[in-house]
Amino acid sequence: MEKTLQVLNSLECNGVLGRYAIGGAMGATFYIEPFLTFDLDVFVLLPQKGPLLILTPLYEALREKGYREEGEYVNIEGVPVQFLPAYNLLLEEALTEARTTNYDTTPTRVLRAEHLIAICLQTGRDKDIDRVRLFTKEASFDMEYLIAVLKRHGLEDAWQHLNK
Amino acid sequence: MATPEQINPEVEKLFLAKIKRRHLLAAMSYPEKVRALVQLQRMAYPILKNRNKRACIWQIDNTDI
Repeated sequence: MEKTLQVLNSLECNGVLGRYAIGGAMGATFYIEPFLTFDLDVFVLLPQKGPLLILTPLYEALREKGYREEGEYVNIEGVPVQFLPAYNLLLEEALTEARTTNYDTTPTRVLRAEHLIAICLQTGRDKDIDRVRLFTKEASFDMEYLIAVLKRHGLEDAWQHLNK
Repeated sequence: MATPEQINPEVEKLFLAKIKRRHLLAAMSYPEKVRALVQLQRMAYPILKNRNKRACIWQIDNTDI
């Protein structure tokens, strides 16, 4: 996976991506036990401005490097990567505040545990709620920071409902 | 549903060991976690494919974990 992350770093370095961070199941795996997933969800801030979140320049840059789309994924060095533009304020904040960490020797960026929890609460599917439960049992996170995020994005009720 | 008092002590011991193992798994390094994930994908692939569900195994070699 290190090669995949190196490709993502080069896309950011070349300005094809404004900023990226790993989220979804793999993002969660940075904090809790590994669990089954088939793709790497990568949240991105795109450099172009405007109301349309267009991934075409990103896909074109990847094609030039020899990485092809397979449905909604791009296979980068053997890993199916799904690029998700930040589509709301919570995701924009999560991307801005994502933390840099090293994957072996390669630097990468991962969403904070608190934002991953908030995103799961916002999406609210059964598997997301299960993931929040795992976070509360296994991950270390800053409760004060989490509560502030939940307040800002109107997710306190969902959190309280889960903790009843 | 069984109340906590009804759980057999041996079974409780197994549950506690499970919790401990989950914490150990959570504390593994990222490359070790990816190794475990690819192993999970290998295990799940035939089952999911049989059920016509989406599944794949990441094509990464050991030098690129």
